[in-house]
Amino acid sequence: MEPVAIVGWALTPMVRRTDKSEARLLFDVVTGATEDAGITRADVDFSCAGSCDYVAGQAFSFVQNIDAVGAWPPKRDSHVEMDGAWALYEAWVRLQLGDLDVAIAMGSGRSSTADPATIYPMEMDPYYLAPLGADAVSLAALQARVLLDAGLVTERDMAGVAARTRADAVGNPYAQVSGEYDVDALLKEDYVRAPLRKHDLSPITDGAAAVIIARGDKARELSDNPVWITGFAHSAEPHQPGVRDLRASTSTARAAKAAGADGHFDVAELQAAFTHEEPLLTAALGLGPDVAVNPSGGPLAANPVMATGLVRVIEAARQIRDRGKQRTLAHATSGPCLQQNLVCVLEGTK
Amino acid sequence: MTTFVESTVRFPYKRSLGSVIGYFMTALTDRRIVGIRNGDRVLVPPLEWDPATAEQLNPDFVDVGPAGTVRSWTWVAAPSGQHPLDHPFAFALIELDGASTTLLHAVDAGDISAMETGLRVAPRWRAQRVGHLTDIEAFVPGEEPVTPEDDAGPAAEPVTMMNYDASISYTTPVPETQLVFGKAFAEGRLVGLECPNCHRVYTGLQQACPVCAIPLNGTHEVELPQTGTLTTFTIITPVQYPGQTETEPFARVHVLTDDIDAVLAYQPVVDFPNADVHPGVRVKAVWTTDADGKQELAGWTPTGEPDVDDPSIVNRIF
Ligand SMILES: [Zn+2]
Repeated sequence: MEPVAIVGWALTPMVRRTDKSEARLLFDVVTGATEDAGITRADVDFSCAGSCDYVAGQAFSFVQNIDAVGAWPPKRDSHVEMDGAWALYEAWVRLQLGDLDVAIAMGSGRSSTADPATIYPMEMDPYYLAPLGADAVSLAALQARVLLDAGLVTERDMAGVAARTRADAVGNPYAQVSGEYDVDALLKEDYVRAPLRKHDLSPITDGAAAVIIARGDKARELSDNPVWITGFAHSAEPHQPGVRDLRASTSTARAAKAAGADGHFDVAELQAAFTHEEPLLTAALGLGPDVAVNPSGGPLAANPVMATGLVRVIEAARQIRDRGKQRTLAHATSGPCLQQNLVCVLEGTK
Repeated sequence: MTTFVESTVRFPYKRSLGSVIGYFMTALTDRRIVGIRNGDRVLVPPLEWDPATAEQLNPDFVDVGPAGTVRSWTWVAAPSGQHPLDHPFAFALIELDGASTTLLHAVDAGDISAMETGLRVAPRWRAQRVGHLTDIEAFVPGEEPVTPEDDAGPAAEPVTMMNYDASISYTTPVPETQLVFGKAFAEGRLVGLECPNCHRVYTGLQQACPVCAIPLNGTHEVELPQTGTLTTFTIITPVQYPGQTETEPFARVHVLTDDIDAVLAYQPVVDFPNADVHPGVRVKAVWTTDADGKQELAGWTPTGEPDVDDPSIVNRIF
């Protein structure tokens, strides 16, 4: 396996509604990430972006987004209709071929464009789920109740996750929701989709993120402290939530095993967009109480859909490059009830 | 002050069902719910492949239900326009009697207090069934299926296709560059944006020079001439999809503007028969005035000048 490291990144401010287009959000993070890595757009050999036409409300929206990367000199480009974490995965795979040195992965989403309850059914099975308007929050609520009924989590645990992540997010300049909250007060709020209350859901967020990766010697040349990707894998389960055991996330456990994620980490950044998903993922990843989970506040603090997973990678890398940690984990997810899961293991230069 | 535009996009899909989902949908018209045998399990709704091994399943269908047990549920207090009921309802994962898996559907329970895990429910059938998941209007608490008095009976033929029609209302910011184009248009002017570095002129959706990676804005506006040369074209034979108003084959052309060297893409034509459209034709802009006095570009029409005989014309796409 070719050694590949993260050598730069950038995030936009995470806000409820931006006045910038998706192409412009990406323009800003491509500029920021290349500056962070000490390179120019001309040094980028391969680019891959993650975004969603249904979120953008425009067919082929990703074609415009390419302007953000710059068209000259000509470079190889790809797109995934997935979170930017999967774009990073593709870029990492591309660098494994050994003929290119530098790649950029991006994720962008303007979730404020429309009611999420009407957008996300479009991405579901078109025969059995979409015709019912099966929205992501309803499906998450069904999984939450399975966990509650099984005694694997309580509503108090879930409110506790919300309070802890919002408090952690106070120190994160990219957080949209942060502050000190009392668990008893949170539990008195009405349900949005029983058993989920507002604090169990991620905010609606507009934002984008970009990550620069480089291969071997090029990474060492560009950075004094490259963050090495030492394990990277993803796995999927059946799309129909009804055929799965929703009490566990087997694809997360499978991806973790393939990525060499053994549970021993300083920090884990998880794409737990709903409070009940955090204990579920923590169990699937075998994370003990000594692992700091989502110290950035995680998706509950800011959820730029299609970039949320890539932001987890950035926050996990930040812990190594800027906070002196040695080994961190980033997780990303896609699909109803944690259908597909990606695990990325990051390590500092020893 | 950012301008936001409201728009509603319809997604009218027509999908083929295949032999497994088609069988399930056809059975719905007959007020039956079927699963497919997968080893010692019965999958409902039926899938074409084993979800664990991806092996293709034999079409060994089994009638299940009609009643079942709620294995999980959530309450939708404020339904969206895409949800199956327009009043508060529950989404539930329902294990139909005889099934090994759960089916997602709506439960019309009246009030959240009527819902609990383990609740027994049965389908309330629509009178007119077309082979669609919503042939079951919703499940209702109890053991007995509900059938309307005016039941129309099963489909005469096996169901092979289904319609799925969703619409989403979007609120999108209008980029500053779009406003530059739009404002000029309303005044009967054509403008482009000139990159301060490479001096290329852009007339499309670009918000940055994609070559130099320099953001563009109103300060880069340049006036475009309203005459030019047709560089390429296509004749479109319309298919009738929702929103399509054209009925006869029509032309879309690219126009290379004079002096400025900017290409306006996918332009309509005016008084310009399809048979006469070809590269090299000299054209000029035609404007109309709308009810508010705003100008609108109707399209491009021949000036009558001789054709431009320049081989490089045909190589100009954008
Ligand atoms: Zn330029």
